[in-house]
Amino acid sequence: MQVRIKRSGVFVSAAGLSITLAAAFIVMLIMIFSLSETPKDTIYYFFAGPVTNNYYLGNMLNSAIPLILTGLGISFAFRTSMFNLGGEGQVYAGGLAATAVCLAMPAAAGFTGISTAIIAAVVTGAVIAGMSGFFKMKWNTDELISSFLISNALIYIVDNFITGVLDDPENNLLTTKKIAEQFWFKKIYPPSNLDISIFFIVILAVLAYLYLFRTHQGYEMRMCGLNSEFSRYGGINVGKYMVLPMLISGGFHGLAGAVSVLGTSHQCYKGFSGGMGWNGIAVALIARNNPIAVIPAALFFAYLEAGAKSAMINADITIEIASIVQSVVFFLITAQAIYNFVKPRRRSA
Amino acid sequence: MNSGEFSIPLIHNSVSIMTPFLLAGIGGLMTELAGMLNIALEGLILIGAFFSVIFAASTGSLFLGLLLGIMMTIFISWIFGAITLYLKANVFITGLATNLLAGGLTTVLSFHMFGTKGVLMFQDLPKLPSLKIPALHGIPVLGDILLGHNILVYFGWLIVVLAWVLIYKTPFGFRLRGTGSNPAAMTALGLKPINYQMAGILISGFTCGLAGAVLTLNLGAYVPNISSGRGWIALVVIYLGGKTPFGILGAAFIFGLAESFSNYAQGFMNIPADFILAFPYLITVVAMVVMSIIQHQKAD
Amino acid sequence: METYLRMQNITKTYSTTGMKANNEVEFEVRKGEIHALVGENGAGKTTLMKILYGIETADSGEIIFNGETVKINNPIAANNLGIGMVHQHFKLINEFTVAQNVVLGIEPKRRMLFFDNNKAVKSVAEVIEKNHFHVAPDKKISELSVGQMQQVEIIKMLYRKAELLILDEPTSVLTEQEIKRLFITLKELVRQGKTIIIITHKLDEVKDVSDRITVMRKGKTVAVKDTADVDQAEISRLMVGKSVVFDFDKSQDGCREPVLSLENVTIKKRRQERPLLDRVSFTSSTCEITGITGVAGNGLTELEDVIAGLRPVTGGKIYHNEEDVTNKSARELRDGGLAYVPTDRLRRGSSVETSVKENLILTSHHDFMKRGGVFDNDKIDNYSRGLISEYLIDGSVDDPIGTLSGGNIQKVILARELDGAKDFVLFSEPTWGLDVASSEFIYEKILEMRHRGTAVILISSNIDEILTLADTVLVMYRGRIVTKQPVTRELTREKIGEYMLGLKDDYRHTDDMKGDASEN
Repeated sequence: MQVRIKRSGVFVSAAGLSITLAAAFIVMLIMIFSLSETPKDTIYYFFAGPVTNNYYLGNMLNSAIPLILTGLGISFAFRTSMFNLGGEGQVYAGGLAATAVCLAMPAAAGFTGISTAIIAAVVTGAVIAGMSGFFKMKWNTDELISSFLISNALIYIVDNFITGVLDDPENNLLTTKKIAEQFWFKKIYPPSNLDISIFFIVILAVLAYLYLFRTHQGYEMRMCGLNSEFSRYGGINVGKYMVLPMLISGGFHGLAGAVSVLGTSHQCYKGFSGGMGWNGIAVALIARNNPIAVIPAALFFAYLEAGAKSAMINADITIEIASIVQSVVFFLITAQAIYNFVKPRRRSA
Repeated sequence: MNSGEFSIPLIHNSVSIMTPFLLAGIGGLMTELAGMLNIALEGLILIGAFFSVIFAASTGSLFLGLLLGIMMTIFISWIFGAITLYLKANVFITGLATNLLAGGLTTVLSFHMFGTKGVLMFQDLPKLPSLKIPALHGIPVLGDILLGHNILVYFGWLIVVLAWVLIYKTPFGFRLRGTGSNPAAMTALGLKPINYQMAGILISGFTCGLAGAVLTLNLGAYVPNISSGRGWIALVVIYLGGKTPFGILGAAFIFGLAESFSNYAQGFMNIPADFILAFPYLITVVAMVVMSIIQHQKAD
Repeated sequence: METYLRMQNITKTYSTTGMKANNEVEFEVRKGEIHALVGENGAGKTTLMKILYGIETADSGEIIFNGETVKINNPIAANNLGIGMVHQHFKLINEFTVAQNVVLGIEPKRRMLFFDNNKAVKSVAEVIEKNHFHVAPDKKISELSVGQMQQVEIIKMLYRKAELLILDEPTSVLTEQEIKRLFITLKELVRQGKTIIIITHKLDEVKDVSDRITVMRKGKTVAVKDTADVDQAEISRLMVGKSVVFDFDKSQDGCREPVLSLENVTIKKRRQERPLLDRVSFTSSTCEITGITGVAGNGLTELEDVIAGLRPVTGGKIYHNEEDVTNKSARELRDGGLAYVPTDRLRRGSSVETSVKENLILTSHHDFMKRGGVFDNDKIDNYSRGLISEYLIDGSVDDPIGTLSGGNIQKVILARELDGAKDFVLFSEPTWGLDVASSEFIYEKILEMRHRGTAVILISSNIDEILTLADTVLVMYRGRIVTKQPVTRELTREKIGEYMLGLKDDYRHTDDMKGDASEN
């Protein structure tokens, strides 16, 4: 199943970025003015809401953590010209795996439990995404479609675990039991949910950058993404770099699920990861697949979500307004025409 | 229960259930032939489903609802096409954008118009007329399977025939295929590939609008995310159908059968609902992998 | 004779490169002549013709056609005026028939709505008959030979009632015999009253076929001559500004140790009648350049891929220094001493969006690691700068390689592949599309490898290149080697051409050859 159009054009320039964000901003204002009875209040809550107090600010930073991870995951896939559209399911399954491990060993020491849970989540995500990479390598199965389909099937299966075998019988909510307290990440900015993992995540982003740009595997991975024919010619094992980046990508998504559970929710509730996968794609696109730039890009999206949430709670619009704004970003972020006119001239041939 | 009693209603239902796959597949085929994988089908179906039922309820006319719903879907597909083609954006990312927009727009409008993000029931809506030809109902098996569906099902078949004529028997069809096969050949003759890609996208807007309308008008209600993966499955249907209209008809029927079967299975087997929901995706991914293995071996 | 077409003061600057492709060009064609437009690559010939055909728009200048000033904004406008163009790279749709390709865009219709295939076949058949072409209108393009594909391109234009035909490098993919046939066709068209512009840089062809010549150099018209009044040396001097004759010292014999041997190498796909490679055997030795030539579609590409380890064989063996390396990966072959300069420089030989230095370290990036497993960037920079000055590359280490000129891109590829000790080097079409100066540089490098004792395999469809460089020549036809000869002064283009076309075959009985030859 060959897709003929080259999957490049996922790199954008700074000029394109600012035009895109400006357009998203305008669309949001238009929507608020047309949908809200009290547009001024709505705008205030949207923009100022996330930063008016420490609780909101901390929570916003906290919600950036999984986005950094999914953004990194997508960056690795995009850098290698692999489309991982299964992020949603990978995060969800990763979260479930971490929860299941913690519930299975309630008496374990904190460190043992946390590290086992994280490994389980990473492996789960990696295997799920890796399958699509493997099919692509082996039989040229389109990974874009297969990763989406596998992930969607898994979402229902994870649902079944949450409401089935792992369900908490003590309440009627669609959630698993809580994991033991020794596995919870330490909060660093109470009363908000922001936890200690943010430091590790930032370090992880830096390591991801070094891996991609300073190691020979990173080099080979990037070359495969830029031109796979060239890489094959140069003796690089191209098939390996269909599977490896998908494994890494899935691993980051699984980790995002684990960090959400261990750090924030302490249980796996139905649909807890909704949107994290798609947001990861948006984050990676804005960051131009640069692991360091993923951090501010994730903060931007966390801010957008937090703003929408704050406007929903305090004013009269619904949170899905954020996904419309997001779609504007998706629409324009790769549009070459809007930044070509500011592109530097090439050297004369 | 003897096997005849069991299988005839099963197949009858499949014929009905396959219609959205069929319509979205035909639309996707048009862009596929023009050289683009259209992952926006999913969102376009959702747009069609939402707006056709909303318009039908507000005008009190199924026909007007259908018409306006389709027009709205074509408009959204135009936005998708214009940004992809005129602003030269990556078609996969803009496809995702269309799906995101569809999800966001339908929820936001549902919330602001009806105050809920849940199911919208429209009890006053008339039922879609179904085709009844008493003379033909006497035909055993075939009559039971093929007759008695709502008219949009038959409209879907008509579209398959029309698509076949359009693709293989008209100048437009030749140019559309030429665009996918070698756009440089088109440019050299002064033909603009971009026009045919746009036409393909707009046609997919039309058929997806119709596919969405089939879902909601038949139900008389709108359920959030009612497209539930049909646009993605349609992409696989296109490949399984060998990228021909009648092939897509056959492939869509297989998916209709699978879904219809899983609905039946739910009735007499104790399978959790979640697995029933996962089933279409699983079977699609299996079909897709098997298909690529076959193709891979052919290429050797 | 009257002036038919006049292009005045044509200037065109490409916004992407900032290059002035045409600089106040003057060009004039008379009715009923064959006019050769000659010049080196990058002289601006193709740009000028694209402006005439409406594919490019000039920044300034005007076109006077048939006595009237005309605006040509697109190919349809050109067709309506009676101007047609045959591109160097065919623009055909493989799964359509000849007739369907020809009528695309102005399809005959039935009942206003439907494509009328019968009428298309009939009217295309008329054009074919009138001009004595040898191609069936209902055959699919994928079943045609390269020469026939070119005929389809010409038919396309004649079907559109073209009176002025532009042919861009029409002979670059043809064999000697096909070229002769093409020239007969062109002369026949002129006899019918058509006018022809032929873009080329092959001087003997210019002498053979044209009535007048316009020479372009660096975006300007430098001379207009009657063909009868000039000889090849003068045209060459006008084209490049100086006369270039390649004459290399090829002495140095002895030293013939076998390095790479192919034994009955075959690629045959299931359900396919004719193998892509059919029992190919030869040996490449130290201090020897083995030239391999043939027409496109006869196995050169497959052989290139096989030697480079990029395509598995289904039969036969390949030995490197007596070790079996059949179906070894590119990585393993490269570790064993393979260097490879591919045909496709922009897709295979380089990664255009990537910097020059990252292109240079493709095969050697393992050698630039510091302790801790990260790249030593200083070492990479120094290495790259060294190669840039050694290979006279005009560009800096951090430029994306796609911003360099074609000749410089090829030099980067050469620098990467030839640096360090190599056992055997595979060159494929090393000078295709390059200017004379770059070609000469590359020829020197190829010979230098030979002097260093490396085994060189040179795959090239350019017979002159083979005759200039190779010690031995092999000709491929339909996946088989049909002759193997030492290169001597007696060996001519025509002799090789006969093998390329399958008219002669040293390794097959004459009776099963007839079928092959008559099909051409």
